[in-house]
Amino acid sequence: MDAWVRFSAQSQAKERIFRAAQYTCTLLGYTLQKNGANPDLVSKIKQLEAHMSLGRKLFRLGNSTDALEAAKRAIHLSDSILRFCITVSHLNRALYFACDNILWAGKAGVVSKLDQEKWSQRSFRYYLFALILNLSRDAYEISILMERDARGQKASYSGSPVRENGETILSCSRGSVGVGDLSLRIRAQLFLLIRILRCNPPLLLDLLKNICDIFIPLDKLGLYRTNPGFIGACGLASSVLSILTITYPWLKLKP
Amino acid sequence: MEAFLKLSSQSRGRDRMLRTIQYACTLLKYLLQNNSTQKELLKKLQNLESNMSTGRKLFRLGNMLDSIGGVQKALQLPNPEVRLLLVTSCLSRTLYFICDNLLWARSIGVINSINKEKWSLLATRFYFISLIMGLSRDIYELYQAMKQDVRGQQIQKKIGQHISEGPDVACIGVFRLEYFLILLYYSVKKNPPLLLDSMKNVFDLFIPMDRLDIYKTNSGVVGLCGLASSLFGILTILKPSLRLSP
Repeated sequence: MDAWVRFSAQSQAKERIFRAAQYTCTLLGYTLQKNGANPDLVSKIKQLEAHMSLGRKLFRLGNSTDALEAAKRAIHLSDSILRFCITVSHLNRALYFACDNILWAGKAGVVSKLDQEKWSQRSFRYYLFALILNLSRDAYEISILMERDARGQKASYSGSPVRENGETILSCSRGSVGVGDLSLRIRAQLFLLIRILRCNPPLLLDLLKNICDIFIPLDKLGLYRTNPGFIGACGLASSVLSILTITYPWLKLKP
Repeated sequence: MEAFLKLSSQSRGRDRMLRTIQYACTLLKYLLQNNSTQKELLKKLQNLESNMSTGRKLFRLGNMLDSIGGVQKALQLPNPEVRLLLVTSCLSRTLYFICDNLLWARSIGVINSINKEKWSLLATRFYFISLIMGLSRDIYELYQAMKQDVRGQQIQKKIGQHISEGPDVACIGVFRLEYFLILLYYSVKKNPPLLLDSMKNVFDLFIPMDRLDIYKTNSGVVGLCGLASSLFGILTILKPSLRLSP
């Protein structure tokens, strides 16, 4: 009970739970519709989903400010690529939340004659840019770790046994250009990537979360159409991963 | 900015901000209701208020568990009177949240079989009981604080001043009232969290009393009281030292 009280006291945590519930409704609604379930039930689930979406928009009313503060903090990072990716990502998120707030005002009837479709597209565009920058940041972190690992391996191989022709095992793998060797190198890089991600749970979680999230704006903007079931599954997965990072703060990728 | 960020990072903080806006809309609607030129604005205020109310009901869905946690904590309090009052208050609040969740389910069409008016009145009754228990606890704490302060030097000085002015039959009644008020003033001054909690509960009480026809006022008074109690709630979140514990 204490753990729930501490968890639900954080507004972001509660919002993630409702996000998970919303995307569960999306997934459930699609699955039930496909399997020919009672239309009344499907309609109730869709109503619940719409209600959660509007409620979450209301609850997100102050998030632009949070994102701007986060962007202000990110400007002071020492690494220039990280600084760029994280700052611009937060700025895009701030713009996404601003559009989202305007959409809420339109749906709630506070602002009349609002072009909902235009503002919705706008908000998804900013959301997509933010996710692309997050993925770029993840790719950059992975490349640094792979480079560090390769340098570490080179140092440990400097004392390795030398073959009869005077080459080391490492230089052997770099020498030839055959197809077999290319596939070997790709496999080696893949194993290295898997090892790096296994040793870095925060990076892995952040990468998975961003990959799951990116399908949502890609679908809404018509760039990569899937179906509501897939969107629901991706949204649910990314919400669960997000809840994990809130429950276990050491799983959150820093900065 | 920092205050806003601190407030918005907590669920309770966000809820209080939305409650402030909701009751501000109620108050504004009452003030503008006779102004025929502001029909469009009135409609927007109505939309904003109902949207805030429905949204807050959605986000209260987990609060029943928080109240149960409150009951568990209250059961461990050493003082038996405070324990009884707080446990009853938390239990009433839990029942209020259960009714509130059912009303939310009814409002979005998930459950259609419940009588909205009946459950709304039931929820208001439980809310009213929890506020009465909260206020009773405040009065009890205040009484204990006054009992402790009655031996205090400042109070003795004031009493001494009155005795030296000469006894008079008509003055004795006034003296007793003044003595009580001075004691109340000093006890409350030393305990700002208790004062804030009492005022918050008093303001909150007008809302269910109006709804249950115990003390009918108007939507303006309800809006003003709701706004005031929400602002006190925000103050206790921004300055945790002002929050009455437990």
